[in-house]
Amino acid sequence: MQFSKNWLKDFIDLDLSTEEICYQLTMAGIEVDNFENVKSAITGNDAIIKLDITPNRGDCFSILGVARELAILNNLKLKLPKIAKLKSTYQDTISVNACAEGPVYFGRTVKDFDMNAVTLPHIAERLTLSDQKLIDPVVDITNYIILELGQPLHAFDRDKLNGDISVRLAKKDESITLLDDQTLNLDASCLVISDEKEAVAFAGVMGGKDSSVTSSTSSIFLESAYFKPSVIRGKARKFGFQTEASLRFERGVDYTIQEFALNRATDLLNQTIGGEIGSVISDTLIKELPNHKKINIDIDRTNKILGTTISTNSAIKYFKGLGLSPEATKSGKISVSSPPWRYDINIEADLVEELARLEGYDSLPEESLLPIYKRENISKENHLRNSLVSLGFNEIVSYAFISQEDHNLYGQDQKTLNVSNPISQNMSVMRTNLVSGLINTFLYNLNHGQNNQRLFEIGNTFHIDKSNNVSEKKLVAGLMSGKKSSDNWKEKFDNLTFYDLKGLVQDLLSDFSQPNSYSLCNVDFLHPGMSSAISFEKKTIGFLGSIHPVVLNKVGVKDDLFIFSFELDKLIFESSKSFEEYSKFPSSARDLAFVFDKEVNADEIKEVIQNSAGEFYKDLEIFDIYEGERIDAGKKSIALSISWQSSSKTLLDGDIDTAVEKIVNSIKKELDGTLRT
Amino acid sequence: MDLDSLKKLIADISSNAKSSFEAALTETDLEDKFRSFLGKKGEVNLLLKSLGSLPQDKRKDAGLLLNGLKVELENYYTSASQSLIFKASEERIKKDKLDVTLPGFQGYKGSFHPVTQTIKDITSFFERMGFNVETGPEAEVDYYNFEALNVPEDHPAKDMHDTFYLSNSGLLRTHTSPVQIRTMEKSKPPHRMICPGKVYRKDSDLTHTPMFHQIEGLVVEEDASFAQLKGLLNDFLEDFFGEKVELRFRPSYFPFTEPSAEVDIRWKKNWLEVLGCGLVHPNVLEAVGVDTKNYSGFAFGLGVERMAMLKYDIPDLRAFFENDLRFLKQF
Repeated sequence: MQFSKNWLKDFIDLDLSTEEICYQLTMAGIEVDNFENVKSAITGNDAIIKLDITPNRGDCFSILGVARELAILNNLKLKLPKIAKLKSTYQDTISVNACAEGPVYFGRTVKDFDMNAVTLPHIAERLTLSDQKLIDPVVDITNYIILELGQPLHAFDRDKLNGDISVRLAKKDESITLLDDQTLNLDASCLVISDEKEAVAFAGVMGGKDSSVTSSTSSIFLESAYFKPSVIRGKARKFGFQTEASLRFERGVDYTIQEFALNRATDLLNQTIGGEIGSVISDTLIKELPNHKKINIDIDRTNKILGTTISTNSAIKYFKGLGLSPEATKSGKISVSSPPWRYDINIEADLVEELARLEGYDSLPEESLLPIYKRENISKENHLRNSLVSLGFNEIVSYAFISQEDHNLYGQDQKTLNVSNPISQNMSVMRTNLVSGLINTFLYNLNHGQNNQRLFEIGNTFHIDKSNNVSEKKLVAGLMSGKKSSDNWKEKFDNLTFYDLKGLVQDLLSDFSQPNSYSLCNVDFLHPGMSSAISFEKKTIGFLGSIHPVVLNKVGVKDDLFIFSFELDKLIFESSKSFEEYSKFPSSARDLAFVFDKEVNADEIKEVIQNSAGEFYKDLEIFDIYEGERIDAGKKSIALSISWQSSSKTLLDGDIDTAVEKIVNSIKKELDGTLRT
Repeated sequence: MDLDSLKKLIADISSNAKSSFEAALTETDLEDKFRSFLGKKGEVNLLLKSLGSLPQDKRKDAGLLLNGLKVELENYYTSASQSLIFKASEERIKKDKLDVTLPGFQGYKGSFHPVTQTIKDITSFFERMGFNVETGPEAEVDYYNFEALNVPEDHPAKDMHDTFYLSNSGLLRTHTSPVQIRTMEKSKPPHRMICPGKVYRKDSDLTHTPMFHQIEGLVVEEDASFAQLKGLLNDFLEDFFGEKVELRFRPSYFPFTEPSAEVDIRWKKNWLEVLGCGLVHPNVLEAVGVDTKNYSGFAFGLGVERMAMLKYDIPDLRAFFENDLRFLKQF
């Protein structure tokens, strides 16, 4: 809300600088967004003050409300504007009917006024300073009252109303065209003002077009009503807009101010356009008014929670200032009831806040919280993050919503959770993996001249099953491109290969307890011959590989792009490590080379050797792979170094020879591999 | 031969050997020369053989003299050898001399994203204070994001959060507060917890991104007080910025706290809002079954990017999600 500072002076005798006013309001919880000192043609020095009012303080959406706060803070008396005695010259013929949702309704007709009158200069200036456009005297005065008193008013063209006025809930499929030309299809949760024929206003939100005041209007019907916050809440928003009236009604307006506001408006209208004033017609359903229960506050407990030493007497004084009618109870508590303009004081905690606020938060004492011992828990996530950074990876954070196109490319046809009201179509699908973020970041940086990139991200992905159950997985994923290491003035490095990627993932996972295995996978955006599933105990937890050539072509990348991804939650930290005795006896090794069919893979060879190498088998290392002229086409030669060791003796050549013979036989039998001699 | 001529001979051999050893250019050369004096057929041995011509009573003295010569030659040898090693090292040093100002062979240097770095810095303080780190889903439901936090349907407070709704009729959490509710549902008080994570609001301009990170903390204990909240946040801000910061508490509004406060810090002469906090609203505690007669609580929340921007002097929020390596590598 924006307003002119001098307007406050109608309500309080305030002699404070603008800075001081703004400071006081801010520190009392009425946040000042900004202020600007200005010159007024009428009042001299003035200032424009702009407030950010929190939803609980609907009472401060007016000059009256702000002045009331300042009066309490500065111990000043609050004055209300004086209203001239208004003489009604005729009795109105229509009647008004309030209802449970709109229990207070005041109205009055003004007719035969001066159509050519203009808004009074001081009103016009205040409205301008308060960022209100000037329209005509009638609209200007209703705008003036809403700012001054916080009471929304509405003026109908009296001649366009048919018979009695009622506040009622809309009928099913009832529609109304509003002042701003939009037509709304209301439902039975919406409140309307209706004449005998149809709805003439969307109550508490906006008036109807058909009954609106125009330049040819000669008689107006002025409405000053109270609608319950619960019936206004969310209504305008549901249709995608908000008005000055709905903003106030949904937060709650003072339900005792309607008649005063109507008279104030009539007085100002009379001063501006003159005319004949009709009688006030009204309907109030007292039992439907908000029921402000008595609230008790325990001052001792309050002092304990706040760390203060507020006395009962000073608490009573604060509450009096706030209009809470405090009374000391026999049990030593203070009993209060909320004034009709405050909707945010309902429980003891609300009173505690009022006391804290008036004491000033800054003056409340401060006490250190004592630490409590807790065992340090290094998370898997932080562990992996540290490892990746040590391995030269740069961490990225990308948006969790991606475009449909990216999902089509990298999402493997997974069903997606979508954002119903996305900020743009490019951010409408919740990611099912982290690939698009990595690749798009890679592309962005490639365009900025970075060829060698190592990126990683740790983040949640979103999954929805057939029965619409949503689950999230935390993934760790990375991307590598370019060379093995950065070239320097002495050495130039080769490009990364699949095995660099795999080695890196193996290193990363070596700190976790499960053995991992790798086998071909079918991730459709990966190169089918250069990709692998990462599995723990036969369960797939992720993948690694080179991006599919077709995808590379699509995103305009020439060189291989390597990606890995695995689920964090599937990893298990080795909980406790224990020392394993190593043998004091020497190990013996034999180098053997076998020729295999090209399709035979290293895991198969390893398994056969492990199973046939005998009890002293220790380790196996592949040290060369050869394909070419010296062996048959379709074959490959694999050279291995196999080692044995015993924990109780030095192995003899004979022990090893027996083991080698078994290996050679098994390799021949199971994999049709022959020893190269 | 008599002793005098022997002495003279020895003196000659000694001086010849000395100059010969010193003139050696390599270790092998030196070895050869050594052998020519002290080897089987070396000069010293030859001399030894000639001692037979001395009278019996002189032989002992002659023997001593020759032994002295041997020791002397061995010393010459050692010193010549050392000087050769020294020379060789000198030459190697000369030859190997590098331009140490040329760049070293560096590998790739990794980096933490400033957001996760900041989360780490912040959680580290609270972990030292005995807070547990808790997490929860980012795709939430209305109950945990709003209702359980005392934000009823259609409440104007919902306007403070522009919510992204999901196709499953859920929503993307607008704050990390749902984690507080989920944690309190799981276990009984006392609680000290902190929940870092991504949050989402439908807002995108110079100072807002539709996704950002928050950290919220919650303490529910028998005597949790506003005074402790003030003390804790003061300590935290000092820890985070590495020096005392001037801060002020002013009243504000959050549906889930009462009293609620906003914390501003003095930053380059202006007051800057960095934290929201307050005593946990009784409705929130009661909804998860906390006995409000015996327990009170306080909570606080802050935006991670905002803290990172202050700490690292980053001018533009959007840089966090652009992931430009020229930006990332600075952290």
